Amino acid sequence: MPRASATSTKRPTPTRLAPLVARQPAPLLPLAMIERLLAVAMARGGEFAEVYLERTLTTAVMLEETRIKSAQTGLVQGVGVRVISGAKVGYAYSDDLDDAALLRAASTAAMIAQGGGSEQSFKVSRTPAPTYYKVPTPLADVDVASKAALVLRADKAARAFDSRVRQVSGSYVDLTKRIAVANTLGFYTEDTQDLCRIGIRVVAEGKKKEMRTGVFGGGGRVPFSHFDTFTPEQVGREAARQAVATLGAAECQAGPQTVVLAPGWSGILLHEAVGHGLEADFIRKGTSLFAGKLGQKVASELVTVIDDGTVANGRGSINVDDEGLPGERKVLIEKGVLKGYMYDSLNAKLMGQRSTGSGRRESFKHMPLPRMTNTYLAPGDHSPEEIIQEVKRGLYCANFGGGQVDITNGNFVFEVSEAYQIEDGKLGRPVKNAILIGVGPEALKNVSRVGCDPMPDPGMGTCSKDGQTLPVGVGLPTLRIDNMTVGGTQVA
Amino acid sequence: MNSYEQLAKKIVQRAKRKGALQAEAFLEVGRQSSCHVRDGEIESLTESTSKGVGVRVITKDRRLGFAYTSDFEPASLDSFVDRALQLAQTAAPNKLNGLPTAAELGKPSDTGELYDPAVAGLAGDWKIKAALELEKAGKAVDPRITTFKTVAAGDYVAEVYVASSEGLSGGYAGTYVYLVAAPVASEGAQLQTAYWVDYKRFLGDLDSPEEVGREAARRTVRMLGARRVKSQQVPVILDPLVASSFVGDVAGAADGNEIYKKSSIFVGKLGKRLAPESVTVVDDGLLKRGLGTSPFDGEGVATRRTPILEKGVLRSYLYDSFTARKAKARTTGNAARGYNSLPFIGTNNLYLEPGTRTPEELIREVKSGFYVTSMLGSGADPVTGEYSRGANGLWIENGELAYPVQEVTVAGNLLQMLQDVDGIGSDLQFRGSAGAPTIRFKQLTISGD
Repeated sequence: MPRASATSTKRPTPTRLAPLVARQPAPLLPLAMIERLLAVAMARGGEFAEVYLERTLTTAVMLEETRIKSAQTGLVQGVGVRVISGAKVGYAYSDDLDDAALLRAASTAAMIAQGGGSEQSFKVSRTPAPTYYKVPTPLADVDVASKAALVLRADKAARAFDSRVRQVSGSYVDLTKRIAVANTLGFYTEDTQDLCRIGIRVVAEGKKKEMRTGVFGGGGRVPFSHFDTFTPEQVGREAARQAVATLGAAECQAGPQTVVLAPGWSGILLHEAVGHGLEADFIRKGTSLFAGKLGQKVASELVTVIDDGTVANGRGSINVDDEGLPGERKVLIEKGVLKGYMYDSLNAKLMGQRSTGSGRRESFKHMPLPRMTNTYLAPGDHSPEEIIQEVKRGLYCANFGGGQVDITNGNFVFEVSEAYQIEDGKLGRPVKNAILIGVGPEALKNVSRVGCDPMPDPGMGTCSKDGQTLPVGVGLPTLRIDNMTVGGTQVA
Repeated sequence: MNSYEQLAKKIVQRAKRKGALQAEAFLEVGRQSSCHVRDGEIESLTESTSKGVGVRVITKDRRLGFAYTSDFEPASLDSFVDRALQLAQTAAPNKLNGLPTAAELGKPSDTGELYDPAVAGLAGDWKIKAALELEKAGKAVDPRITTFKTVAAGDYVAEVYVASSEGLSGGYAGTYVYLVAAPVASEGAQLQTAYWVDYKRFLGDLDSPEEVGREAARRTVRMLGARRVKSQQVPVILDPLVASSFVGDVAGAADGNEIYKKSSIFVGKLGKRLAPESVTVVDDGLLKRGLGTSPFDGEGVATRRTPILEKGVLRSYLYDSFTARKAKARTTGNAARGYNSLPFIGTNNLYLEPGTRTPEELIREVKSGFYVTSMLGSGADPVTGEYSRGANGLWIENGELAYPVQEVTVAGNLLQMLQDVDGIGSDLQFRGSAGAPTIRFKQLTISGD
């Protein structure tokens, strides 16, 4: 990898409300201090040491009962030091940035290595990072009143959508996160990661006090002007539409059915059904049912799955991962055949592979783990209309709550928040309380149609693993899966 | 008064000086360490300290602002207090905004000890040894245990300090210690995993590493050979671990924030019978040695014992001071909080009171049914009560646990499920701050083949 001076990051323009960003020092710590921490971390004979610095400014605006309930801001900063000795890892962090506290963290992490060793000096130099998200004005510097205005507009649009709308709550949350990673291989990389999301929740009331909820939102690593085209009105109306559309829904039939997934956010199925099972830590430890299956057919040949950290302005995109390596596009499954796993540096090293730039962490308080970025399914040939028309009887899943997977036995679930019966190729009555359950590879083998309508989710996904949450993107074209178990309350 | 308590007071004073009508500081300081092991060797050791403070301000025109920081440099602290006040100008005035009054705060509750010097002083070696023993004990249970997802031991020491312009000033320290293991068992093409954990304030209350390791392995191995079953409606039993998440769903429907927004199936049901007399669900902030026990909640209000369901009757919702004012009720001391958030409704020690029957008796009476030992997905939707989750466990045939089951779902509705509780075990246990005994429901829908 070439070593050159880092691309200059644009200095934020000061505004009235955000003096904290404007007076940020250029590096989060002086390079000399970082090098000193690396030296101390290696003093006990470690093989590799890394210093991770983070400074995150968050702004949030909450709306309830048509009014802005609160506006808030926060700052978290700290340093994490990691030392690796064989397969062992020592990790220590401090949110105190004074020299004594930082040196204490470095020497604590160093203890993992039991060898003698002696303090030698390390030099790091700046490594340029690619740019997949350009946010000219850091979100932290955008006037809070404009952020509040977005949520107020969404609320108004949601209420105007239908008289059955009873409750609207909403939020706008953003962060400007600056990270820097330096390690004993000599690399020093910086990145600024802006991220925002608007979210609206609507409760509608139908006959006999029936209540239905709709949730919609989105954002990404985007400039604030994103909301000029992804308008809050659109967000409010969509949340309201979901809530109203599902009023009068019938109980869901339990048992295997043909299901058709709407494009976009349904990509969460992919994330759960296969994504987590392809993360290298689970593979190395033999705890994933995908371990040892490289080159084997694990899905229908219609299925090509890609994890791509380089999507422009994607919620899950990373210029560099949290080990300082560039984000990558990886083909995980190609035409049904398992092609590769997602690696962080440690698991890559222990498995004799190269990192795929998948080492991510929630904050300086966490060790990096192999994680997904934006995970999507490549499009196929069928039009969405065709796919629905071909189904005699089945379930159309239009919107989704969350999902969860047990990567060991492969069982995953996938909560369907908006679903319709398909009868003779047409969408029928809405159905409530549906959930899909399956075993990853089996479900993917039953994929029988892939639409020509690829769609990324609007930018609202958050993934949790080992207690660490991260922003992720998902995407899917319209998809048909046969013989999928649908959880419901009605038994034929 | 220690320096953090003073710092909290100073932050409140600055906010007042800068024009706040009311101000409150919530400060946390912690240190944690943990050890993960793998194949008889240390996998990772972590150690850290952390701190942070959040300031909540109410302006003279009753607007709410909030800011938090982990940077305790005086200049930085000052600027974040000012930011909370500036940000409040973006929020709408609301005459119900306000900090708990002296009357609402009450006297901090007598909780007994929350701090175990034995935990605070635990040698690093203890964690390594405990985690290694945990792994060894788990492995010894069955040769089909091939690996572990996680084996860890750790501890945490936390201090909380609060101060407000309404006369609040206080703090407390607590300790936590835990053991966790998640073995993986393999047979044929099938892999299965389960976990077991113990999490306590006091070292003396903690199960031994052997016990935790063996139970984790037992729960894992018995899942080997799991298969699906037909879709059908049968009696369902939740083991205590899974049952505690069901109790969490009950508390979720009693969340005062959902109540005043009329977004819960519990709205308008206070005083009504929702479950048989055997069902009493309590949130107890005073439970001796409880993991969720504290003298006051996230806004300084004295914690207490709040029965949510008492002998089957809905007795109380869970409130903090704002939601209580909205509902013209009294706060129940259920403001949950981290320094980086405004108060939200949470539980302290939440549990379902035990019954008199052994879990074996509850199983024996079932001719054909499902004994659930782990679940996937989120619980009941508080707005509709709809409940639909992935479930793993053991099939009951003629009163005996017969064979393992996976890849099925269990579905019902929270209100119906409460009515259908027809058996509660005597085996109440806490694996964290939520506890439950075994629960049996008359009938739920299983989706499978």
